[in-house]
Amino acid sequence: MSEPLLKVCNLDVSFRSRGGETHAVRNVSFDVGVGEIIGIVGESGSGKSVSCRAILGLLPESASVSGRIEYSDQNLLGLDTEGLRRIRGRDVSMVFQNPASHLDPLMAIGAQVSEPLIHHQDASPTQALDAAIERLREVQLEHPEQRVNSYPHELSGGMKQRVMIAAAIACGPGLLLADEPTTALDVTVQARILELLKSLNEQHYLSVVLVSHDLAVVAQVCDRVLVMRHGEIVESGDTKQVIYSPQHPYTQQLIESQPSRMTIRPPVATDTDTLLDVSNIDVEFASPGGGTMRALNDVSLILRQGESLGVVGESGSGKSTLARVVMGLVKPKSGDVKLRGQSILQKRNRLDLSVCRKVQMVFQNPYDSLNPRYSVYETIAEPLERHKLVPATKLDERVAELMGLVELDSSLASRKPAQLSGGQCQRVGIARALAMDPELLIADEITSALDVTIQAQIIALLNRLREERGLSVIFISHDLTLVRSFCDQVVVFQSGRIVESGAVSGVLEQPQKSYTQELLLSVPTL
Amino acid sequence: MIARWPKSLRFGAGIVLLWLIAAVLAPWLTPADPYAIDLDNTLRPPGGDWLMGTDHVGRDVFTRVVFAARIDIWMGVMGVLAPLLIGVTIGLFAGYFGGLFDSVMMRIVDITLAFPFLILVLAIVAMLGPGITNFIIALALVAWVSYARLIRADVMVVKNAEYVQAARTLGFSSPLIIFKHVLPNTISPIIVYAMTDMVLVVLAGASLGFIGLGVQPPTAEWGAMIADGQAYITEAWWVSFFPGLAAVSFGIGLSLIGDGLARMLRIGDT
Repeated sequence: MSEPLLKVCNLDVSFRSRGGETHAVRNVSFDVGVGEIIGIVGESGSGKSVSCRAILGLLPESASVSGRIEYSDQNLLGLDTEGLRRIRGRDVSMVFQNPASHLDPLMAIGAQVSEPLIHHQDASPTQALDAAIERLREVQLEHPEQRVNSYPHELSGGMKQRVMIAAAIACGPGLLLADEPTTALDVTVQARILELLKSLNEQHYLSVVLVSHDLAVVAQVCDRVLVMRHGEIVESGDTKQVIYSPQHPYTQQLIESQPSRMTIRPPVATDTDTLLDVSNIDVEFASPGGGTMRALNDVSLILRQGESLGVVGESGSGKSTLARVVMGLVKPKSGDVKLRGQSILQKRNRLDLSVCRKVQMVFQNPYDSLNPRYSVYETIAEPLERHKLVPATKLDERVAELMGLVELDSSLASRKPAQLSGGQCQRVGIARALAMDPELLIADEITSALDVTIQAQIIALLNRLREERGLSVIFISHDLTLVRSFCDQVVVFQSGRIVESGAVSGVLEQPQKSYTQELLLSVPTL
Repeated sequence: MIARWPKSLRFGAGIVLLWLIAAVLAPWLTPADPYAIDLDNTLRPPGGDWLMGTDHVGRDVFTRVVFAARIDIWMGVMGVLAPLLIGVTIGLFAGYFGGLFDSVMMRIVDITLAFPFLILVLAIVAMLGPGITNFIIALALVAWVSYARLIRADVMVVKNAEYVQAARTLGFSSPLIIFKHVLPNTISPIIVYAMTDMVLVVLAGASLGFIGLGVQPPTAEWGAMIADGQAYITEAWWVSFFPGLAAVSFGIGLSLIGDGLARMLRIGDT
């Protein structure tokens, strides 16, 4: 390999705070060659984003950085603000996770893409706009001539990310830093954005540093991979080598936790009674611009006792709305929901405890789903106390039993959600739902905010609960591989309709509909 | 516990506590009678027998300042508590349920806010007749709108939080969810605002006393005392100065508490 484009040597970053100093990055060294794509993988708090931001001096004031970061023989750490400004956007540019919050909502996208050209290359506004259209075409935004006058809110998430990439490559930088560029996007969009990065790399010899929590994403496009944990690089090397013969135990655990590597549980017998029967549900919401929007269109499905039903689809496809209809949080326009042959839609309105107890839900966001002022004990004890499910003398015992059931250490009982990790919060949420002793548990994207190793633990917990308690589960997820390893049946949602349904093995091995096929092909796997 | 309080909270609480003690112990702090007229010793400067001098009818200013604390603290607490209870209850239910009740209540809020605050209070007091009880009634009728609007905005956010949805799926009744889950998570800005509001109420009460619509003479009240001294301000500054200083120090104490609470609750939330 010739002289590397970027050389990072012994990078150390620590943050000062009132509680003392936290070391975010320790002794990190790596380099990026011309035209190379390297991936940095790690879970939240591993220091991957911090390392990436340190390269462009984007860390907050409280950070102290030491080591060397050389970009074509220039030490970036030695530069003052003005010097950095000249590098940023021209030689090294960056793409962020959330395109919605990193584009200026009041600025037409053409102006946002041409801005760096005007600042760095003294282009006139008209020249810059022409060049911007060219860049937008390169990132495969359709009709760039018309789109330049659009504002960010008129574009979809994927389109916004393309615009951000166009702005980042506007001045023809040598190095692109991409910090979780596809995490906020749907899986089909993610696949196209990754393809785009790959083609920009091939056509322009653009070097890319791709930061991601998802090993599968990195494996798809990167030549080399660095695995980070607790601020240190634990393993690095050629992508294939790292994935097929991981040396470090943490890397091995990371690979084992991939949903595609999980063991597939044998399906339950299908001759059990029907537990939940959802028939012809229509849901309409008033849209902000007037008129109505159909969130669910003639949705019907059946769940047998003890079964686990996967509900997959992209964001906005109506998966969560379905869960909320079953839970009685959203009233359908028409249709019926029957539990063991009895309609539950009417009973919901009267807070019928017999229905409430049978169907329980666990929510997506681990921190938002627990009352921040309640301790773990109070959260789990509340439904027990309120509905007098156990005598007062047995309350402590039952709470301890539930905590044990979800594998929560009893020492955590007095903690508030802010003092728990995301995975622990989700366990509390599950324990709270189990307090009602439900027959059906609806899990709405419960692992999407968790790290992959924690996700594997939560899935294992759900599997155990299914076996031990005969719990039926509706498992809502955008992740098809996860559904494959956990569910017996699956329904695929697209814009409020069920496009395909059936046994997991059938639907996911031999999808009939083109949409399901596209979804499956988009999922990065190892 | 106090060790974890921010400095401003400790300082503010200290000042307010001193005033509370002064109000409770007023008869023991000073031997004089706040209403005793002594025409031989009018407008005596501070010093000697009179720590803060005497006013135009020879009453001891120090005694009156201390006794006035009772009235002013009572006015501050009641003048905040009444609108707070009304506003928070209305705001909670309006924000949580929405619909017609919300629309009607918020239009009333809009109409009330269209009038200048003090003018509206003045008009109601003028209608009901001067006096401290009527002042508190007027405040309750006008000031609840700020509390209602403030808490409603937070309720609209919190009611969509997943823990509130979770409480609904657990089969809890709406009043229970509102008071157990929504209220505790929306009350912090209200408490902070109430502290700042108490400053305004005490000052508004003093202003009303100043123009004769508040506390009636000869009752000692800081605003009314400042008004009494107005005519002699060039020859006997102390008659107005000391009650003014009392009002200002009490106000600063409350502001510091408000500031400190805001800081502490914000840290507690993260």
